[in-house]
Amino acid sequence: MGKAIVITSGKGGVGKTTTSANLGTALALMGKRVCLVDLDIGLRNLDVVLGLDNRIIYNIVDVAEGTAKLHQALIKDKRFDDNLYLLPAAQNTDKSAVEPDEVKEIVDELKADFDYVLLDCPAGIEQGFANAVAGADEAIVVSTPEISSVRDADRVVGLLEQQDLDQPPMLVISRIRRQMMNDGDMMDVDDITRHLSIKLIGIVFDDDAVIAYSNKGEPVVLNEKNAASRGYRNIARRLEGETVPLMTIKQEKQSGFFGKIFKWFNK
Amino acid sequence: MSAIVLKGYKEGYEIELKQEASFKDITKELEELIDKLKQEKKIEEKDSISFDVKTGKRLLSDEQCQKIEKIITKYENFTIHRIISDVVEMKDAMELIQNKSVHIVGDVIRNGQVKTVNGDLLFLGDVHQGGILRATGNIYSLGNIHGIIHAGFDSNITSVIVGNIKGAQQLRIGDLVDIVDEEKVTASSETIVYVNELHALEFETLDKLKILRPKIFNQVGGI
Repeated sequence: MGKAIVITSGKGGVGKTTTSANLGTALALMGKRVCLVDLDIGLRNLDVVLGLDNRIIYNIVDVAEGTAKLHQALIKDKRFDDNLYLLPAAQNTDKSAVEPDEVKEIVDELKADFDYVLLDCPAGIEQGFANAVAGADEAIVVSTPEISSVRDADRVVGLLEQQDLDQPPMLVISRIRRQMMNDGDMMDVDDITRHLSIKLIGIVFDDDAVIAYSNKGEPVVLNEKNAASRGYRNIARRLEGETVPLMTIKQEKQSGFFGKIFKWFNK
Repeated sequence: MSAIVLKGYKEGYEIELKQEASFKDITKELEELIDKLKQEKKIEEKDSISFDVKTGKRLLSDEQCQKIEKIITKYENFTIHRIISDVVEMKDAMELIQNKSVHIVGDVIRNGQVKTVNGDLLFLGDVHQGGILRATGNIYSLGNIHGIIHAGFDSNITSVIVGNIKGAQQLRIGDLVDIVDEEKVTASSETIVYVNELHALEFETLDKLKILRPKIFNQVGGI
């Protein structure tokens, strides 16, 4: 029996889908059986990010309505043996096409077969949010170091606390720009964590490769050396109960010859 | 005559409705009594007599009160001064206690959440930006306020806010709102906010509280 984790944020565009795809992939690479569920009905993206969009035959609405069996709608990602599956969202209807009870039923069925069921929540706190949270045991709140995102995350944490989750929500801070954070132009990781007063489970640096890989239909996690990839891998390991130190935000200055002279003058 | 008793005092008349009697008997006897009084007493036309109605350990519903009133006021010179009962409903009693006690709250009130407390509030938690903390009485805060804090919700302008309100977005007392901006941040943990005689919010230091709201110090010690 696995556990279902909803990945949510309130605000759009902070990296829920990217986090879902990469975290799912990272867990699959660790040998866990993972099912990703796209609940952004009407605006599905998760399939595109994973490069599985051309293989959708049935979707979650078909399953909820009974036109398809659950195993028919699941798409296997062949890159990861038998470990990563996707239950895609419907594209031609909207969030109200499924009810929270139906989602819960589907998720419960998936939990029997998988170690992790990751629910990709749509932006907002309406029906789509209610659907996603209904099936979840735990929650990951994604926030960027921006005030608007943090405010929305705060709101969402409040809503999640009213739900009957197994444990308090966990926080992922994504799109961190080291330079800006070091210069004090961006909210500090510690500040955000303290403000939201929930457990920080990982930070992810902003990296061009994330977009480049997404466009290719591959999760960035596949590139071991990438900084964002390491962030996601660390989150996966922490979810598995490992103790992994937080990645350092300090960036070692590459000081060349002129840099040294500049430094010398700065003294 | 067993369901009701008429008593005369220096201050006026009092009708006691026996709690053992049924309401039906009471109304019946009350009618008889009023009729009799009207006939026996040579009351001058102008004289008006008001009664205190005591219901003992019985609570009358609104409908029953109206019935009693109707019987007594059938004659022009009879009026009801008040209807008193020895008991109150559990709900009302709880509300009374709630309103009189100081509640301790240590919650985190997040963006979009509203926490409302009946009575006074000692706050030890956090109010995040966008969160609202309300109390019908005074608010004493030792926590972190970054949101909106509302004392005397929604019309009690004698309420005060005491404590560190430096980071708050808005301070409200009763129907008054103050948007906390940079210039007013003289606030420390020893600040009080109250409504002055001109019906405006004003900041003062803690030592003035005793002069401004002496009543607060009388109630300390519970109900």
